[in-house]
Amino acid sequence: MIQLHNVFLTYHKEQTALDGVNLRIPKGDFVFLTGPSGAGKSTLLKLFYAALRPTRGQVVIDGKNVNRLPEGQIPYLRRMVGVVFQDFKLLPNRTVQENVAITLEVLGWGQKDIGKRVYHTLKQMGLEHKMNSTPLRLSGGEQQRVALARALVNEPRILLADEPTGNLDDANKEQILNLLKEANIRGTTVVVATHDRRLIDTSHRRVIVLDKGQIVEDSHGQE
Amino acid sequence: MAKSKPANKYAAAKRPTLSDERKFGRLGYFVGRAVTNIRQNVLINVLTVVTITFAILLVSLFLLVYVNLQGAVDTFSEKVQVTAYFDNELTPAEFAALKDRIVGLSGVDRVSYVSKDDAMRRFRDRLEGQESILEGVPSEVLPSSIEITLKRSQRSSAAVEAFVKRLKTVSGIGEVQYGEEWLRRFSTFMDFMRITGIVLGGFILLAVVFIVSNTIKLTIFARKDELEVLSLVGATRLFIKIPFMIEGVLQGATGSALALAILGGCYLVFLRNAGNFLSLNPVTAGITFLPVEYLGGLFCGGVLLGFFGSLVSLKRFVSTDS
Ligand SMILES: Nc1ncnc2c1ncn2[C@@H]1O[C@H](COP(=O)(O)OP(=O)(O)O)[C@@H](O)[C@H]1O
Ligand SMILES: [Mg+2]
Repeated sequence: MIQLHNVFLTYHKEQTALDGVNLRIPKGDFVFLTGPSGAGKSTLLKLFYAALRPTRGQVVIDGKNVNRLPEGQIPYLRRMVGVVFQDFKLLPNRTVQENVAITLEVLGWGQKDIGKRVYHTLKQMGLEHKMNSTPLRLSGGEQQRVALARALVNEPRILLADEPTGNLDDANKEQILNLLKEANIRGTTVVVATHDRRLIDTSHRRVIVLDKGQIVEDSHGQE
Repeated sequence: MAKSKPANKYAAAKRPTLSDERKFGRLGYFVGRAVTNIRQNVLINVLTVVTITFAILLVSLFLLVYVNLQGAVDTFSEKVQVTAYFDNELTPAEFAALKDRIVGLSGVDRVSYVSKDDAMRRFRDRLEGQESILEGVPSEVLPSSIEITLKRSQRSSAAVEAFVKRLKTVSGIGEVQYGEEWLRRFSTFMDFMRITGIVLGGFILLAVVFIVSNTIKLTIFARKDELEVLSLVGATRLFIKIPFMIEGVLQGATGSALALAILGGCYLVFLRNAGNFLSLNPVTAGITFLPVEYLGGLFCGGVLLGFFGSLVSLKRFVSTDS
């Protein structure tokens, strides 16, 4: 569960990115975070995996107050939160398999178990035949799915995706959306930041609209 | 957690929680990670190893020159000698007693007796070709004396002067000579060499640490994406750092081993050819290679350079905030 109480966030250049945000995302929810460019969507996601701490207000992730979380505990928070970054952040000199395996190596899994689990996840993403390629030799949609595989391979409690359908064609968008929904069905709370209206309209999920750092609309659009 | 095999396609892995702290007793994993990192970043590693090789080579060349100069100075310092004359002529028994007391003084290495005959012989040798002047001069004219060689550490101007003071308190000792002027100049030269050595050595060491740490900083900067990703998927700082530190140690060991091999090779080539272009025999000239302790020290220095270079550089890039 994600809870925000009166959260403000100001970047060093006096740039107010979040302006009094109150928010509650229950466990197992599927939420779209939308709004114009610069509204604060990415900033909000960064709070959820403790890449940023709020200037003011409380951020509580899965019962842990991020404000008071000691530096040394942040890695353990991040293990519960899978993130698909807008720019993927895949390592170009490692294979697809190795890129996805990182998440499990960090957890201390053995090589054999990592091999099996990574294969399983890549198969879900339809990428098992690309295991030994390097990311730069993949299409945009494939890279997106590798990033998704890395975020999901340890079945995190929360999945965050920043513009996951960015430059993709309709077929790829559809595929990504379905994979996100599958993860949600397996119990993962999913938060997707996007400005893709069509993606939101066809999904019938809760939509939170941000503008200038404030929540201007929160539709609990249930299916 | 890794041991539970997924029962079906959607079986969940055991979910990590905040308190789920695993201890990494698996050095094997980290070494493997380090080796893979080296394979995947060959160029960067070659650059670092070459820099460390260059650095250690510079330091060891300096040491080699310094050690040999020091050796030459030590040999030269054999000339520092104290000559003592007696108040009265001594009988052999009296001399033996006196000798024991002198040897008992701290700082004394060797003592030798120069009889009247010895003194006359030396004088004659020095006159070379004009010995005839001395014809008919009885050998009793020159006094007998005792020549004292001091220990290596006691050959500075100040130490010799202190020794002479002590020597003069021994009864039976009359005049004492020790070539003050020459000794003072020699001492100044030794101090100059020591200070130059420390300053130059310190300067080289600083330069080396600066160059190596900057190279490592650059190479780690080139991999900041990797550090960032590791941090974002929940790696602890230690987990991120250990492979880099192992890598640093391997780079340091390789670099310093290479440097010492090159140094050894250069030394051998020098030995073989020195006779041709320097018209000197390096062996009789007392030219030596670095002692084993120095070689060990240089190797360890290289390893530490790699280790701390990585550790310090990582500090700037490994933080939990991204
Ligand atoms: N690192 C940063 N430093 C300063 N200002 C930033 C930084 N990141 C984002 N901002 C500013 O914060 C606001 C929100 O940005 P962001 O969260 O990226 O919006 P969105 O993802 O909705 O496009 C914008 O005005 C942006 O310029
Ligand atoms: Mg954004």
